[in-house]
Amino acid sequence: MTRSNEGNPISTGAAKEKLERIANVILVGSGKGGVGKSTVASGLALSLSHEGQRTALLDIDIHGASVPEYLDVAPPVRSSEKGLEPKMKDDLKVMSLGLFTGSLPVPMRGGGKQELITQLFALTNWGELDCLVVDLPPSMGDELLSALSLFSGKATLVLVTTPSPGAVSVVSRLRRLAETEKVPVHGIVVNMAYVLAGKTKTFPFGRPDRKLLEAKFKSTVIAEIPLEPLVSTRGLDALLKESNDFSRAFRKLAECIGH
Amino acid sequence: MSLYDGRAQRHANLHELSIAQSIVDTVLSEVQEKGAKRVTEISVDVGQLMQLDRKALAFALRLLMTGPALKGARVHVHVSKASFSCRKCGSAWGMAEVQKQLAEVPDTLRVREPDSKELPLHFLPFLYPAFIRCPRCGSSDIFSKEGEEIQFRRVVME
Repeated sequence: MTRSNEGNPISTGAAKEKLERIANVILVGSGKGGVGKSTVASGLALSLSHEGQRTALLDIDIHGASVPEYLDVAPPVRSSEKGLEPKMKDDLKVMSLGLFTGSLPVPMRGGGKQELITQLFALTNWGELDCLVVDLPPSMGDELLSALSLFSGKATLVLVTTPSPGAVSVVSRLRRLAETEKVPVHGIVVNMAYVLAGKTKTFPFGRPDRKLLEAKFKSTVIAEIPLEPLVSTRGLDALLKESNDFSRAFRKLAECIGH
Repeated sequence: MSLYDGRAQRHANLHELSIAQSIVDTVLSEVQEKGAKRVTEISVDVGQLMQLDRKALAFALRLLMTGPALKGARVHVHVSKASFSCRKCGSAWGMAEVQKQLAEVPDTLRVREPDSKELPLHFLPFLYPAFIRCPRCGSSDIFSKEGEEIQFRRVVME
C-alpha cells in the first residue's frame, strides 16, 4: 500500500468515503483568472442553498483563496469528533484553505498540492449533501487536475467566461481538457455580461454572442450574469436575497444546475 | 467499540482517532480486495510535521482493530523526522529549528479542538510553506524532503 499516482491511500480512502454521501459535485472553473469564478461559485452555492438544497462550497485555491472574503467567514476552524467543521453561511457549509492561512502567503510549488486538497476534502465533516460546489483556481495545474481526479465520476463542470474574446479563447482550452478527461460540461456561465444603469444595459466586455459561444464551447449558455458593483459594498449574500437582475440570474443558474 | 466513546477520547485527541479510523478502513478495504483472511502486522510512518501523538495513535489503532480480520495484529507507529531545504541558500534543517516560527502562528489560525488549539499543520501538513521559512536566509522558497505525511511502512496479511 504505497503511494500511487492517485495519492496517499489513507487520505484517498477517506475521501472516497466522504464522496459517497455527496450526490453531485459541480466544479466551477475557467482555466483563467479574473473572470469571476469565485463570485459565480459562491453565488451559485448560496442560491442552491436558498432553494433548500443541502449544499457546501469548497474553495481549493491554494495561493489565492477568496471565498472567505466573499462570504464573510473567518478563522478559526473548529474540529469535532466528525472532522473539521465547515463554516456556516446560513445553511451553506463553507470550507476554504484560506480559513487556515488567513492573510499569510502560501508560496508552494507542485508536489504536495494534490495531497493537501485531498486531505482538506477528506477531513471536512460535510455530512449528507445534495450538491458540493468546488471553486477551482485559475490555470490548469495541480489544483485543477487534482480536483478532476478526486471527484472523478461524480463531477460536472461549469465553465465561466466573460464575453471578452481573450477570456473566451483561454476558457475554450479548459473545454477541450474536459473532453479529453471525460468530465461532462454542464454549461457556460457568461459573467460580467452587462452592466445595468437604470434600465439601460451596457456591455463593458462586448455584447455576448450566445450562438458563437455555444458553437465554440459545444455547450449551452446557462446564465448571463451582470457585473454588479454593489457586491463589494453590500455583500454577495445580501444582494442575492433581494429581487434584482443579479439575483434572478443566479436563481436561474441554480435551477438549471439543481434539477 | 465505537471510535468516539469515552475510553478512546481519554487517551487520544480527536484527530488521532480520526486518522486511526482511516488507517483501519484502508487496511480493511485492502484485505477485502486481496481476499486475505487476516492481518498480522500494521506498521505506519507518521510525519513529524503533523505533531501527532504517536502513543495515542497506536492506542486508537489497537482499540479499533476488533473484527476477525484485524484482532491481535501487531501495531507499530514510527515517527519519520521532518527535514527541510531552502532552494535559495541551500541550507537544510529539521523541526527543532522551526519551533520558534511555529510558536508564532497566530492564535486565530489555530484549529479549535474541544480541549486544545492545534496548528493547521496538525491536520494539513502540506500547508507548511505558509508557516515555515528558511532559518538562515528567511526565504519562503523551501521544500520538505520527508516527514510530512502518514504512510504505510508494512502491512502483513495472510
